[in-house]
Amino acid sequence: MSGGGALRAIGATGLALFAALAFTPLPNLIHGVVVPPAPPLEPAAAIVVLGAGADGDVLTNDSLRRALGGVALFRRGLAPRLVMLGPGREPSEAAVRVRLAEDLGVPAAALLADSRGLTTRDEARVSWEDLAPRGGRKVLLVTGSQHMLRAAALFRRVGFEVVPAPVDDVPSGAQRPQARLELARALFRELLARAYNRVAGYL
Amino acid sequence: METAFILAVVGLTSLGVAPLARRRARRGLRSAAARALETIGLGVVFLFLNVAVGFCLALIARLVVRGFVSLYLNDDVTIVALSALQALIVQWWREPEAR
Repeated sequence: MSGGGALRAIGATGLALFAALAFTPLPNLIHGVVVPPAPPLEPAAAIVVLGAGADGDVLTNDSLRRALGGVALFRRGLAPRLVMLGPGREPSEAAVRVRLAEDLGVPAAALLADSRGLTTRDEARVSWEDLAPRGGRKVLLVTGSQHMLRAAALFRRVGFEVVPAPVDDVPSGAQRPQARLELARALFRELLARAYNRVAGYL
Repeated sequence: METAFILAVVGLTSLGVAPLARRRARRGLRSAAARALETIGLGVVFLFLNVAVGFCLALIARLVVRGFVSLYLNDDVTIVALSALQALIVQWWREPEAR
C-alpha cells in the first residue's frame, strides 16, 4: 500500500470511529462493559472525595459534582467524617471544597482537607495516613464512575475497605453527539490510565 | 433526535453548496474525498504522535525534574485542533502549487 493509500485507510478508520462514537450508542455500550454497576451504599467510617481539579478557587465541574456527592452522603448520615482531597496552590482544591461543605451545613469538626495527593495512588496513600490512625478503615469512596474501578483498587491496596459511591462526571446514558464523544473520551482516558497503572505495577 | 437534526443540517448545507463548488471545481468529487481522507489520516497520525510524545515527556519530567506533571495534560482538547492544523499544513505542503 502506498503512503497515500495508508493515510486514506487510517483516515477512513478514524472517520468511521468518529461517526460510531458520536452518532451511535457505542460509547454507552462500552461504558456498560468497562464500568461495573455500583453495589448498594453502606455506612462507613469516612467519606473520601477524590480530587478532580480547580482553577484558582473555582472548582471544575467534575470536582464540584464529586464534592456535592460527598456532602449528600454525609447529610444522609452514612459516615461521621468527610475527607475532601485535591491539590493546588492556596487555596487548594481540598480547601475550596471544605469551605463549600461548611457553607452547605457540614460541621467543621467533621471535615478534613488534604491537598497532598497529586495522583489517585497518592490520594490513597495520604487518605490512609489521615484515617488509619483514627480507625477509619472502611470508606465511602466518591469519584467519577469511570474512575471508580481503578481508584477503588488503589485504595484497597493501601488497606482500605472500599464502598464505591460513584458520581457520574459524564452521563453514561448520553444521547447528544457531543456528550457521547465526551463519554468516549473519558472512557478512553481511563482505559489508558488503567493500562499505565498495570504496567507500572500499581494495580 | 439530536443526531438526526445535526446530520440533516449538515446534509442540507452540503447539498446547497455542492452546485457552487462544482462550478469552481479543479478535480472530481472522488479525488477530493480521497484527499480529505488522507488529511484526516494525517490528523490521526499527528494526534497519536502528539499524545504518545506528550505522555513520554510527562513521565520523563516526573523522573528528571522531580516535579509533578499530570498525564491528563495530554487529554486537552486543543491537541486535537493542533493535530488537525499540522495535518492541513503537511497535506497542502505535499500538494502541487496552485496556479
